[in-house]
Amino acid sequence: MTQALTVQNLTAHYGATKVLEDLSLSVGKGELVSLLGASGCGKTTTLRLIAGFLEPTSGSIRLGDKDLTRLPAYKRDIGLVFQNYALFPHLSVLDNVGFGLKQRGVAPADREKRAKAMLERVGLAQLADRLPGALSGGQKQRVALARALVIEPPLLMFDEPLSNLDAKLRVDMRVEIRQLQRANGTTSVYVTHDQEEAFSISDRVAIMNAGRIMQFDTPETLYQRPANAFVARFVGFENLIPMKAVARDGATVTAEAAGGARLKLSQERFGEIADSFVLATRADGLAVSTDAKDEGIPATLGLRTYLGRAYQYQADSAAGQLIANGSLSAPLEPGAEAKLMPVPDQCCVLKPE
Amino acid sequence: MTSRINPLLILFAVLVYIFLMGPLIIVLGASVSDTTYLTFPPQGFSLRWFENIFAISAFKRTIITSLELAFLATGLALLVGIPAAYALNRYRIKLPSWLSTVFVLPILVPEIVLGFSLLKSVAVGMQTPIFLTLLVGHMLLVLPYCVRVVSASLASFDFSIEEAAVSLGSPPLKTFFTIVLPNVRSGVIAAFILAFITSINDVSTSLFLTGPGVSTLPIQILAHVEQFFDPTIASVSVLLMLLTVAVMAIVERTLGLTFLAK
Amino acid sequence: MKASKPRKAVNPGAARPRQLEENFMLKRFAGWWLAGPATLAVLVFLILPVAATIATTFGDDGGIFAPYIAFFNSGFRRAVLWRTIEISLATTAISLVVGFLTAYVVSKSPGKLKSLLIIAAVFPLLTGVVVRSFAWLIILGKNGILNNFLVGIGAISEPLSMLYTQGSVIVAMVYLFVPLMILTLVGVLENIPDDIVQASSSLGATPAATFRQVILPLAVPGLIVGAVLVFTGSFTAYATPQLLGGERQMVMGTLMYQRAMVSFDWVGASTIAAIMVVITVTVVLAMSRVARRLNPMAT
Repeated sequence: MTQALTVQNLTAHYGATKVLEDLSLSVGKGELVSLLGASGCGKTTTLRLIAGFLEPTSGSIRLGDKDLTRLPAYKRDIGLVFQNYALFPHLSVLDNVGFGLKQRGVAPADREKRAKAMLERVGLAQLADRLPGALSGGQKQRVALARALVIEPPLLMFDEPLSNLDAKLRVDMRVEIRQLQRANGTTSVYVTHDQEEAFSISDRVAIMNAGRIMQFDTPETLYQRPANAFVARFVGFENLIPMKAVARDGATVTAEAAGGARLKLSQERFGEIADSFVLATRADGLAVSTDAKDEGIPATLGLRTYLGRAYQYQADSAAGQLIANGSLSAPLEPGAEAKLMPVPDQCCVLKPE
Repeated sequence: MTSRINPLLILFAVLVYIFLMGPLIIVLGASVSDTTYLTFPPQGFSLRWFENIFAISAFKRTIITSLELAFLATGLALLVGIPAAYALNRYRIKLPSWLSTVFVLPILVPEIVLGFSLLKSVAVGMQTPIFLTLLVGHMLLVLPYCVRVVSASLASFDFSIEEAAVSLGSPPLKTFFTIVLPNVRSGVIAAFILAFITSINDVSTSLFLTGPGVSTLPIQILAHVEQFFDPTIASVSVLLMLLTVAVMAIVERTLGLTFLAK
Repeated sequence: MKASKPRKAVNPGAARPRQLEENFMLKRFAGWWLAGPATLAVLVFLILPVAATIATTFGDDGGIFAPYIAFFNSGFRRAVLWRTIEISLATTAISLVVGFLTAYVVSKSPGKLKSLLIIAAVFPLLTGVVVRSFAWLIILGKNGILNNFLVGIGAISEPLSMLYTQGSVIVAMVYLFVPLMILTLVGVLENIPDDIVQASSSLGATPAATFRQVILPLAVPGLIVGAVLVFTGSFTAYATPQLLGGERQMVMGTLMYQRAMVSFDWVGASTIAAIMVVITVTVVLAMSRVARRLNPMAT
């Protein structure tokens, strides 16, 4: 895939505080990449650096064969969709959409034609003469989208575009955004703190923390094979159990958790296991067994909650608080002793933190 | 809300409004009286005292001076005040916090002290012409209003709108005029009006800065009252009230009268 | 910020180092460039001259505080200072009560009437000090409207001399400042949420009790702001005391003018200016501190 956007070794400061450290990222042509993370992780800073509202301390930003690093924002030709829509309150919907074309010297008649066509595509043709103040949140979002798309930018960026909408509309809009982006083949960068949103809409997702990318991969890989403890926790691995390999027998490793519980793990199924590692699982990845012969982490079950497809237990073990899902056929009472057994396909072996 | 109010309170408020309006109505009545002394209710009806204003050259001169001063001082104050207000909001984090205090400080300086200080430092110290000194004084008098009123308007302006325009290819300066300014229009108009009225009516700052041949209308009125006590002053006062009415009409046209309620 | 001319980006490589430098300087100091002229104007033409005025009052031949000692040693000037304080306090107190009660009625009035009442308060406020003071000159004069009226109805046989008394100055000052107080307090009262008032009545408070126990305490910060505006305004007033008080009721403002422009005693005038500044600053700072402490809505 040809790279449309290439960000290399970007470092940025706010005053003396380093907010972005040596960040590199490339986005393929037509690809939609999300920057995902909690507030303050640097995702918006990255977007603003690419847009040209901030200047990096070092590093470079290229779009196609154009070096953007020191180009003023208004010459970058990037479509932007803002969190609060940022529509021009004093201009009609049509003029809002036509604004970028006007800057590019498109003749009024042509401008109007193209803006109208774009409004048609987002289903707002009938509101062309309204002022933005008279629109609903979803309509404003569509105008913002149309305004960014009509200039046919080589790069389209979204800054938390759906966070001001209600839940139902959010889902509809993200489908709509994805469809438009696909149909136009516009290379896109999408900033969000919502994991579901990022995973559902993106080709690839960069999970960020403290000004760095922790992992940059497809949603599937991120969800199933987190590369480190941070990402594992972020994508919902509730149990992170530090372990040590105490014996090796061919592909089988005997590992010990705090408290002395031992597990035999096959490297064929769990992947390569180092001497010291973290076993990460979701609640589904820890089976609950009351059979004394089974090999697992002994635990005392606590609160039981009903999930519909399973019962979930808060369990106390020598290796710490664990969360495990047990079958619906045999509900267990709080206080019951049980063994918690890692399910091979649902576990990840990670480097210790 | 239609919770009932004590009728005594209502009566009190009515009296207060009579107190507020009465004197101005009396001035209006006295100005059209066909007598050589000030009286109310007017005896007869005559506009000769209005004509008399323009027969007195000092009034003609000072009316022009006051208008020139008010327009120039307000224009200058907006010229430097709008960029300052913009900077204070747009670069809030980058600029030191004392900078906005600079525009609050003038409130702590009584106008009469400003006038006297300018007399000493500028008029005498720098030998500036009278009109120029007056202009400096009036500009300083209204600058804090301009900065604060426009600033208040910019405080509720969402700067991501500006960024949106820039991202769509509009250069910064053009963006300021096509996107930012139209959206803080009401603040700029309000600042202009407030500044204009303050300048036109000012006594305390101008007091020390007027000089031979150059004076402002309010100072001229004060001087006139010391010597004559005829209805001319009432007529001039009515002219100033008409100016107030005109200003309020402009506000009504451009911002809606509800704006005054704020 | 600068509108960089749309330089043709044909050869961005060559233009880059220069442009970077430019952008860097402009962006880094953009705020300063824009705020600079106004800031400089205030510093050069306001702060410096006023500081210079105050500076000339120190370091006189007779010792550093000589002008102040002279001021307070003069029984006449002391009397002027006390009179000014008295007039200002009276004006503030009366304006507070009148303004607050009126503002309460205004804030409770139905929509249309309310805007009319507000406009009726804005109008005198926008009409100049000279005009409004002059109006009282017509009313209170020896052959003024009030005297003529009172003689006419036989309440008095001789015209009273009401002009050039402390009372006439206070009446005109109250007239000057009541509209300001009404407008300030209407804003404050409108900001008190209706549901707080409704909560009070739902708990059994009579309208009078709600007024005293809920509305009044919530309005305190606004009352303080209004009081400070009126006090500093009347303390430094010139036109009104000049017209209605004349030489007989000299106050700080008129005394300062007299020292400077009639006696050419600039050090004396500067001393009065300095005292005005000190009192204004003290009152503003002290009251804003009190307001912050008394603000029940502060978190």
